[in-house]
Amino acid sequence: MVLLSAPRWLRSRLSDRFWRVQEVLKYARHFRGRKNRCYKLAVRSVRRAFVKSTKARREKKRFLRALWITRIEAASLEHGLKYPAFISNLLKSQVELNRKMLADLAIYEPKTFKSLAALAQRRRQEGFLAALGDGKEPEGIFSRIVHHY
Amino acid sequence: RHQSSQSTAVQEGLVAKTSLTSPPWPEVKLPDPAEEAKYHAEVVQKVNNMIAAGQYGRLFAVVHFASKQWKITSEDLIMMDNVLEAECGDRIRMEKVLLVGADDFTLIGRPLLGKELVRVEATVIEKTESWPKINVRFWRRHNYQKKKIITNPQTVLRINTIEIFPCLS
Repeated sequence: MVLLSAPRWLRSRLSDRFWRVQEVLKYARHFRGRKNRCYKLAVRSVRRAFVKSTKARREKKRFLRALWITRIEAASLEHGLKYPAFISNLLKSQVELNRKMLADLAIYEPKTFKSLAALAQRRRQEGFLAALGDGKEPEGIFSRIVHHY
Repeated sequence: RHQSSQSTAVQEGLVAKTSLTSPPWPEVKLPDPAEEAKYHAEVVQKVNNMIAAGQYGRLFAVVHFASKQWKITSEDLIMMDNVLEAECGDRIRMEKVLLVGADDFTLIGRPLLGKELVRVEATVIEKTESWPKINVRFWRRHNYQKKKIITNPQTVLRINTIEIFPCLS
């Protein structure tokens, strides 16, 4: 005769519990305290660690850009220019180096950075001269002198 | 008969000095354009001669590649976080060069340098996947958790040479 349902004394029990626990504990081995040994505490810590690393990957980009900006500001102040003036004048002279490159050049190629700062300074001065124009008063309409002949 | 107050003031004498008479930046005087052009031509000629004579040491270049800018020299390894449609061992020429420099001179492109001026060659060495990055999203007390393991394809390139040719004008 064929038994269609399993008898009650037949249970399915976990045989690889050790490896399932090690999968989680291997990520917790460098933690401090009992959470690097005890599974119950480690599960919570490992999950928080993963979530934090996921969010940090998005914020790393913002953080690095702020770091580059700080470094470029420091380097351009050494050459007598402020950061907004430096960046805007470089972009107006069609030099499209990004902030990561400018920070690297400021650290490892100081002569090149000095020449870039000089370029930005010269473009700034040309901008000032262009803004001043001819130096004459603009022709008004109501302040024109009307001649009666 | 209308007369402007400014023109009468100019006729009388000096205009009163206010905060808006002169611009807030210090007055600048640019050097004479003819002299400057001569000086520029001299400098360009000197740099051209230096390049032609080969009096430069190690060259570095800033290259725009894979939507990123890289500062590279020769014998240099680069890893991109995406796929390149070239087999391992293929030689590649990088065309978008923004800056080339040596110890004594730099050539700054606006924004790119000409293709007949610089030549950057690289070889594809390795195409692998990145280490498995774990993405977990979890909201406490809301029974919400997702786990995803991402491996990005990566390509490793070795920069063989950076060459410049004396065709400045």
